Amino acid sequence: MLYTWAVMSIRRFISVLVKEYRHILREPRTLWMVFLSPALVLVALSTIFASGGGRLNLALWDGDRTPLSRQFAATLSGDDDFSVGYVSDYDEIETLLVAQGVDAALIIPPGFAETVGAGGAAPVQVVLDGVDTLVAGQATGSLLGHAADFGLALNRQFSLPPLPIKIRSQSAYLPGDAERESMIPGLIPVVFSLPVMAAALALARERESGSLESLIATPVRGLEYIGGKLVAYVSAALVGLLPVWLVATLLFHVPFRGNPLLLLLLTADFLLASVGMALFIGNMVRSQQTATIAALFIFFVPGFFLTGMMDPIDTTDLLGSAISYILPATHFVTICRAIFLKGATLAEMCRPAVALLILSAVWVGLGAITFKKRVR
Amino acid sequence: MQETLNRIRGLAIKELLQLSRDKLLLLFVLLAPLLELLLMGNLSGGGVRNLPLAVVDLDHSRASRELITRLGQTDELLVGMYSDNVSQAREQMQSGAISAIVVVPPGYEEALTAPQQSAEVQVIADGSNHLVSTAAIGTVENVAAEIAQEIAPGAGPVDMRFTARFNATLAGQPGAITMMLGLIVYQVTLVIASQSFTREREMGTLEQLRVTPLGRLELMAGKAIPTLLVGMVDCLLMTGVAVAWFHIPVRGSLPLLMLFTIPFVLTQVGWGTLISLISRTQQQAMLFVFALAMLEVACSGFLVPASSLPEVMRWLSYISSVKHYMVILRGVLLRGAGLGVLWRPGLSLGGIALGVAALAWLRLWLGLDPDSLKQRLRAWRQTSRRERSRRPVVRRQKRRLVAEPVYVDVRTEE
Repeated sequence: MLYTWAVMSIRRFISVLVKEYRHILREPRTLWMVFLSPALVLVALSTIFASGGGRLNLALWDGDRTPLSRQFAATLSGDDDFSVGYVSDYDEIETLLVAQGVDAALIIPPGFAETVGAGGAAPVQVVLDGVDTLVAGQATGSLLGHAADFGLALNRQFSLPPLPIKIRSQSAYLPGDAERESMIPGLIPVVFSLPVMAAALALARERESGSLESLIATPVRGLEYIGGKLVAYVSAALVGLLPVWLVATLLFHVPFRGNPLLLLLLTADFLLASVGMALFIGNMVRSQQTATIAALFIFFVPGFFLTGMMDPIDTTDLLGSAISYILPATHFVTICRAIFLKGATLAEMCRPAVALLILSAVWVGLGAITFKKRVR
Repeated sequence: MQETLNRIRGLAIKELLQLSRDKLLLLFVLLAPLLELLLMGNLSGGGVRNLPLAVVDLDHSRASRELITRLGQTDELLVGMYSDNVSQAREQMQSGAISAIVVVPPGYEEALTAPQQSAEVQVIADGSNHLVSTAAIGTVENVAAEIAQEIAPGAGPVDMRFTARFNATLAGQPGAITMMLGLIVYQVTLVIASQSFTREREMGTLEQLRVTPLGRLELMAGKAIPTLLVGMVDCLLMTGVAVAWFHIPVRGSLPLLMLFTIPFVLTQVGWGTLISLISRTQQQAMLFVFALAMLEVACSGFLVPASSLPEVMRWLSYISSVKHYMVILRGVLLRGAGLGVLWRPGLSLGGIALGVAALAWLRLWLGLDPDSLKQRLRAWRQTSRRERSRRPVVRRQKRRLVAEPVYVDVRTEE
């Protein structure tokens, strides 16, 4: 009795699966987008992380006009950190800052050379554009470095004592300037949200186009239906892992130190959780338009800013980290970085892997429970 | 003219009705932006904070404890582990529990206080996230510089004094919130616009739309109005939340911001119309939207400052509406910029909107089918081939078709 029930159930599950495959395969555009879009988007996103920052725009007002102040100004414009534009009064600086024409302004007050000549520390004012804190931080660090270099270059008469503390820094796994190589594994979860969102729409479409009504007449059950869609989209998206992996390792030369099979396994784990979440969304909404907006709200902006892809998750902020850990992509960011760059093993990755399993069980379960064979 | 307006109004009313019928959609269009802004405003924009740090103190002296306490007091670092050997800490780094390791070697205090010696401190940072390693190393260097300054006070010749305009405390929130505001308006309007024709096609109502007397421009205008409304309302509502909840100042004029929101939203309408015309199902449209959105975000300077983008991306960023809108948004809200400085991004936005609208109009001119470009090309190729092979026949037929009308001289019958 139980045996025949199980056989029938699996048969129904397989027929849903076959139907979904047909949906993906019959439309060449959908096929390309599900298989290849992650790799294409990864190429586009990865090119922006070119190592080595660009030039910051600096406005310079030299109120001193002495050879020494010019020498100081020349050290700033001499290298690739800044492109310096000279201004002649304070109002001009204000206008430039408001128009976002410069990232920072440097004011050398009159008496600069006199103070330095007397052996003192001459005050120099820096006005930062505080809106983009990333740029402001970059400008601060760079300017302080230049000031220190200028001090050394002045070759003062007295000999400098050695610095009391020296920091020997070492960046593990990757050299410190390998910005692109460290970002690409973190981007993989974001690019996989494309096929994941396609699954949300696949479910919403059934309801919108009315084919759900014919499905109601069939003996298929909630879990079989959700499961069929889940497996179809997870396996379709998994095929897309190969081009993504090729783009990362061959095109952008990201080192791959882990086990490819482990990556495949954990990607499947991640896709189960996030497709499950997408199916739940698709199940709750009534139209594909709503499904798209919901999916964008959940996968797009948080995918970039809450998953630890850029800024790491602040574990002391309970609410924030709780929301981050509900998103499957957060765990997958950890996994991708660890497998690609650290060569992590399954034992080391067991915490995020188990978290993803729990998440997928929760979302698929919720999807199966809420799936009602009723015309709303 | 009056009839045109009537037709546009009819279509716009129909679109608005459709929008308001789906209560859940309305919720997502009007309420979700506010919720997401609240969430993201509270959570992001803090930069790197509280990185778990492992300390390997081999000196066990007062000075080393002082160093460790100071490291823990910074915003960026949080001492999460004390250990006696480095390999144990490295294991924790491998699993991701620890982001940086600071090793204080034996004899640190001695070397620190001796005038002609320098103490060495080793930092190992997790380089698998570039931001983490740079922040960790930078923070330790800053703390070391502070301690050095206290032990041997000596200033360089230049004393830099920093002030930050528009955001004196250099808090991350104003920048993050204006960014989110722009992004959310962007995504909502793009999604609504991108489903317009695809939805009609899937529901089968495109056929009805085809037989209405609506012209191409009327069709575009009628579809654009509801999206424009949604975009403006969302922008206003979110600005309200940003001001009331996050205390973001409005230093410029709000009507100016609203004025520039129009071309920004119209650009998204143009892209959306294009996408909805070239995709057969809404699923495809959504994939196109997501791909386009990621590209725009990539070159608009969110993830990487615009100045450090590679050459190709920097050129692309000039046609990214998000980038120009961000300048306007931050200009009006945070910098107090007026029309005098904002005309340039405003004009760029207008140009982009016109360009994209022209593209959409061209695509609409080709036909409403996703394959109409291909069909037209095929038809053109076939006719030209036929003409090439059987030129005389066609000519003769044509001549017969355009043959002179047979005049019957009526007078002769008289």
